[in-house]
Amino acid sequence: MAETTDRFTFQFNGETIEARAGDTIGSALYRAGRRIFTRSFKYHRPRGLLCMAGKCPNCMMNVDGAPNVRSCITPVRAGMQVRHQNAYPSLEHDWMTGVQHLDRLMPVGWYYKTMTHAWSWHAAEPYIRKVAGLGIAPGPDGGSKDYEHAWMQAEVAVIGGGPAGLQAALYLSQQGAQVTLIDDQPELGGHLRYRKWEGAVPQDVVAQLRSAPGAEIISRAYCFGLYEGNLLGVLQANPHAGAVERLIHLRAKRVVVATGAYEVPFTFQNNDLPGVMLSTAAQRLIHLHGIKPGNRAVMIAGAAQPEEVAADLREAGVEIVATVAPEQVIAALGSSHVTGIRSSSGEFACDLVVMCGQRVPDAGLLHQAGGKLQWDERSGAFLPVDLPAHVTAVGDVTGVSLVATSIPAANVSYHKRAFVCFCSDVSTADLRAGVSEGFDHIETLKRYTTLTMGPCQGRMCQLAGIGVCAHETGRSMGETGVTTSRPPNPSVTLGALAGPRHHPTRRTPMHYAHEESGAVWMDMGEWKRPRYYKSASCTEERGCVDEEYRAVRERVGVIDVSTLGKLDVKGRDAGKLLDKVYTNRFSDLKPGRVRYSVLCDEAGIMLDDGTISRLAEDHYFITTTTGNLDFVQQWLEWWMVGSGWDVHITNVTGGRAAVNLAGPQARDVLKALTDCDLSSKAFPYMSCREAIVADVPAFLMRIGFVGETGWEIHFPGEFGEHLWNKLIETGKQFGIRPFGVEAQRLLRLEKRHVIVGVDTDALSNPYESGMAWVAKLDKPDFIGRNALSRLADAPAQQNLVGFVMSEEAVPQDGAAILVGGALAGRVTSARYSPHAGKAVGLAWIASTSAAEGTEIQIRVNGGMARARIVPDAFYDPAGERLRM
Amino acid sequence: MSFLIPCPHCGNRSAYEFRFGGEVKQRPQPEAPSAEWLEYTYTKNNEAGVQKEWWFHRSGCRQWLQALRNTTTNEVVEAFFPE
Repeated sequence: MAETTDRFTFQFNGETIEARAGDTIGSALYRAGRRIFTRSFKYHRPRGLLCMAGKCPNCMMNVDGAPNVRSCITPVRAGMQVRHQNAYPSLEHDWMTGVQHLDRLMPVGWYYKTMTHAWSWHAAEPYIRKVAGLGIAPGPDGGSKDYEHAWMQAEVAVIGGGPAGLQAALYLSQQGAQVTLIDDQPELGGHLRYRKWEGAVPQDVVAQLRSAPGAEIISRAYCFGLYEGNLLGVLQANPHAGAVERLIHLRAKRVVVATGAYEVPFTFQNNDLPGVMLSTAAQRLIHLHGIKPGNRAVMIAGAAQPEEVAADLREAGVEIVATVAPEQVIAALGSSHVTGIRSSSGEFACDLVVMCGQRVPDAGLLHQAGGKLQWDERSGAFLPVDLPAHVTAVGDVTGVSLVATSIPAANVSYHKRAFVCFCSDVSTADLRAGVSEGFDHIETLKRYTTLTMGPCQGRMCQLAGIGVCAHETGRSMGETGVTTSRPPNPSVTLGALAGPRHHPTRRTPMHYAHEESGAVWMDMGEWKRPRYYKSASCTEERGCVDEEYRAVRERVGVIDVSTLGKLDVKGRDAGKLLDKVYTNRFSDLKPGRVRYSVLCDEAGIMLDDGTISRLAEDHYFITTTTGNLDFVQQWLEWWMVGSGWDVHITNVTGGRAAVNLAGPQARDVLKALTDCDLSSKAFPYMSCREAIVADVPAFLMRIGFVGETGWEIHFPGEFGEHLWNKLIETGKQFGIRPFGVEAQRLLRLEKRHVIVGVDTDALSNPYESGMAWVAKLDKPDFIGRNALSRLADAPAQQNLVGFVMSEEAVPQDGAAILVGGALAGRVTSARYSPHAGKAVGLAWIASTSAAEGTEIQIRVNGGMARARIVPDAFYDPAGERLRM
Repeated sequence: MSFLIPCPHCGNRSAYEFRFGGEVKQRPQPEAPSAEWLEYTYTKNNEAGVQKEWWFHRSGCRQWLQALRNTTTNEVVEAFFPE
């Protein structure tokens, strides 16, 4: 027995339990006298340790807030908080234990038979959720554990640190290969650690491997999937004190699968009682943890391994009352723990039943890799064959040493308490019922009964399930075949898949100036942008936005637009490229001028919009929507592939800051900071200039997204705060206000300026969006021209129109629109317009109802509100204020 | 989906580093008949076998490249920069 002297304690349901070094949660609880570890999923039957190898669902507990932890293999640590699941008030006295007597009301396929009306599930769900199930997922605060991801590469990945895996890893490493060995145990050696008759752990091999150059050993890590390109999903528990789990993406040139074989239980009445366990579980308790598993044992054994197990039990001080063959067993006796075995050769009182079950290859990874599983009568198991070239199997997983104990199909004990699937309480009788109801293919039987679909993913139940299916259908095991293995198997926590909580954030160069001005932030992609600013006179959104709006319309406002995508396009053929990808024409744009355009795909759908300025003959500057920069850059580069054109596209977004200064007094503010002639004569609407502003070299565009006289000023990011502060300081005498995204959205909506991606979607073309003027069909060719020329002549299906509410109501974005009682469209943007004195908005409406003046109804707060379609911008439709 | 794409610049890289750009198709001449344009715009060959595709190496050299990928096995036979 193992020498275990270090003692410490942990908490189980608030009770202090003693543990020893090397203990798992399961072994410590077993030593402390605990026998019931869980209550079953459906019937709330008591369940105890079955496999002691993390392969069955019987020991799942909540550990430090994480649900469904396999306690039998999870190393226990001092101070751990362990709680049971799915039982109330305790595992020993579960109020729901009577549920199993209602089994007649819950036949196999119960959901399909009872949930026949839409309302039935809604009515039943709250009760089912309470009664059935596994652990409870932690809430937002419970997810505060740290998970991490790692990416690794290996020439050869060896999965499994048993004798075969160790030998393979050492051999390959001696051949010069860079080997990574993955083992799910705390120590290497596999079954040799607890099956002493098979020989001792080859410590010399372990030592050589540990010191071999290029060999890496990852312990306490299991491989849950073998994916395309030999990508292995590996989950390592407690890689270091700072993380609970690490998900390793391991890419290997070759994979050697040495996952060995595991033991599966026999099916007989009450085979799920606590105290009925697999022989390897008893051996693990004895040899790994120094625990005597019981006092008086009955062994259930076929031809294989009984002597080895019997010797281990006797050595541990367990008296063996009887050994019976699997086909002789009638039932296990007892209610909350086994008290005996009834067999055709008599009844035997005992407190432990040891099943020397069939051993089957742990071949899920090989199946996932594309190998087949073929029935082998001699081994009594499905063995992997036809492996792909990059995957090799070694050791017990190949079936080399497996011996048939009792063929499941030849000897099925039908009873409603003879459990095949321990995860969801599926018995041999349930499977028979499933087959008789027509689900006689193993894959349909699986879906109907949920066999192999629980947390154990078929490890405990697959072979016996195939046996019942074969027996009932009269087919052989081989003809019946296996269910498909899919990753992840075993299961993986969502936290591990999600990985570390690392959210990249981008801040503009003026971020801290905004913060000092009382900015309330919003996320726009990775960027942080001020939604609005709190001020001395106002702290809530509605009032702040109103103040900001009035500043821009009546005096002057400034907004940080550094998040706009900014592309610098240079080269002899720059104009040619822009003519090809944008709908508008740019080769004839004069240096010093700005033009708006949209980007369409070949189907004429609008992808993005923005302004393009021409700085020089061979030099353009493009702005894109904040979230679309990468897409636009890739799109431009894509259409250049193979063209041989002289164009260089540089993304200058991160290096350049930008502000939009707008309002009737914008010119007065800017004039104080630059020598540039800002008069409309020298610097008209839709033109651009390079100039010095507040000693900063800047690029100015006179454009008007918000509908007032204004300049978009682009300049080096390092001067961000300097220029921003100068503008605010200089603007003080004019009553300047910084304004945020919300005020900007309102201002632009009054001008009916469309935001691509907000007011348009993946079906919107320029014609239906009311922007026909951007499509220059007289250009010989551009992306989307063919589709647009067809759309230009085709009748519109729907139109993007403006509307004004006829009553005091503000619809939400997305609200439904009715015309004559029938659904006719939806709102894309709506805000209360101080200028109109009513809410205004943009909406998609079926073209038949989109005529000017049409009365429409919009759903607001559950009721209907009247509105009218209007043709023009709500504010300054002639655009005079932009040109002042 | 975890196959590798042998980027001509960067070597064998996970497909997750790339953006998929769809099948490589020949863009019709501007004055080609509508039927040809409709076929180009809306119809996918969706080859069950080796197909020539566009991929953009977003997390690498940031170049558009073409790859011959077997759509049934996700094996990338070859990746190259188009002429």
